[in-house]
Amino acid sequence: MTAVRPVQLRGRFLTAVALLIDGGPPDRPFFAALDAQLRRMPHFLADAPLIIDLEKAPDLERAEDLRRLRDELQQRKLAPFAVQNATSAQIAAAADAGLISVIAGHDAPQRPTRRENTSRAAAPARPQVVNRIVTTPVRSGQSIVAEHGDLVVIGHVASGAELIAGGNIHVYGTMRGRAMAGVHGDENARIFCQSLDAELLAIAGLYRTSENLEHEVRKRSVHIFLQDQRLCVETLA
Amino acid sequence: MTSQMKQEPPVQSKVIVITSGKGGVGKTTSAAAISAGLAQRGYKTVVIDFDVGLRNLDMIMGCERRVVFDFINVIQGDARLKQALIKDKRLENLSILPTSQTRDKDALTKEGVEKVLNELREEFDYIVCDSPAGIERGAQLAMYFADEAVVVTNPEVSSVRDSDRVLGLLSSKTARAENADAEPIKAQALLTRYDNQRIASGEMMTVDDVLEILAVPLLGVIPESTAILRASNTGTPVVLDEPSNASAAYADAVSRLIGEQVEMRMESDRRPSLFQRLFGRTA
Repeated sequence: MTAVRPVQLRGRFLTAVALLIDGGPPDRPFFAALDAQLRRMPHFLADAPLIIDLEKAPDLERAEDLRRLRDELQQRKLAPFAVQNATSAQIAAAADAGLISVIAGHDAPQRPTRRENTSRAAAPARPQVVNRIVTTPVRSGQSIVAEHGDLVVIGHVASGAELIAGGNIHVYGTMRGRAMAGVHGDENARIFCQSLDAELLAIAGLYRTSENLEHEVRKRSVHIFLQDQRLCVETLA
Repeated sequence: MTSQMKQEPPVQSKVIVITSGKGGVGKTTSAAAISAGLAQRGYKTVVIDFDVGLRNLDMIMGCERRVVFDFINVIQGDARLKQALIKDKRLENLSILPTSQTRDKDALTKEGVEKVLNELREEFDYIVCDSPAGIERGAQLAMYFADEAVVVTNPEVSSVRDSDRVLGLLSSKTARAENADAEPIKAQALLTRYDNQRIASGEMMTVDDVLEILAVPLLGVIPESTAILRASNTGTPVVLDEPSNASAAYADAVSRLIGEQVEMRMESDRRPSLFQRLFGRTA
């Protein structure tokens, strides 16, 4: 006689990724955006258990739409298995598409990326602008920060020194160090140097090192600004 | 006026740190020469070796056989200051406070250094601190209580950049920098191993290049010289050795340090070769 094996039940916690559907049935732009996201982190979501969050898509209740969504996701090596925040009609449709309904747990909303922030209105209130003026030479190894505002240096900035500003940077002296303007993403920030010999120049995260600065602008009075996502260095007068 | 005459003593005793960041630029040689020069002019001077574990000053000063107690013994209370101070045999106004060769920089404490310096301030006009290379504990404590700084620099880029870094520390990580009411440390640059020929050929930076970057007053320019090596090897501060352009340059630097106006001379100790003497300045 063969012994019947007892059924073993174990509790399991599982981390799943939730995909938030916004609006009606997912269309081509939605999948294009999803593909772009997946390309950015190709291994992160591969075969990851995935929950479709329907909180913002109350109209998505046709079983065939859900089935199509499930197929599209599976083609992208994702593993959708459930819906959450679904209405009763959606739960029925989901069951038809082979998806169960789970009760939404705590989920940390992914921090919105900066680009979204700028496109959407209602940006947080701007912090008060505090400019900073430095009248002594900035030495190698020093780091001068004007978190919210312009940074003005009257004197030299040595190689190995660092200037960081939320706004513009002005250097009235030879600039041999690094300057990072618009560090909070202000693409209108500019850098002004009386004599340019910098190691690195950056505006809103876009940078150039001394290696790829044109020879003509060296030791000249210049201003540096962003134009069409390019860092431009232009001599002054 | 003879240089032996005692001049107006400084109102308060001054702590002068000889520092550079980079090693091998001539800090200890300069500390020995400057302290001997000050003593020669009648100031009561003590020179302290802060390079714990790499004791050199006593050799440059020629008193290595007379070291019994050291700076660390005094800081830790194992010896009194009077026991550790070594009186120079050539200059009665000059004393040396050697450091320990067996310990390391962790043996230095801020409180200990302050206590020793305060005690020395009561007796001496000038307290010259010979800083170790680097910007770590030893160097930071050597500069922390300073009133003035002599930043020793060679005319080459890495030395200049390190000196610039040290100037930054002098204006941020020192007692005078932390006290908003105090005057900032008076820092001056001392250019050493200056070689006219190598500068003329573009191998080294000029005085102007260096000062343009450092943006501090120039205390002096010491030519590269065989006299320095000879003085070091015989344990004689270069200003007490045979006359040479290097010793004259140090003497000038000392004059500027005590506030005299002396014109800057830049004479090399290098003898022109026969070829150069024959053909003069054709190049």
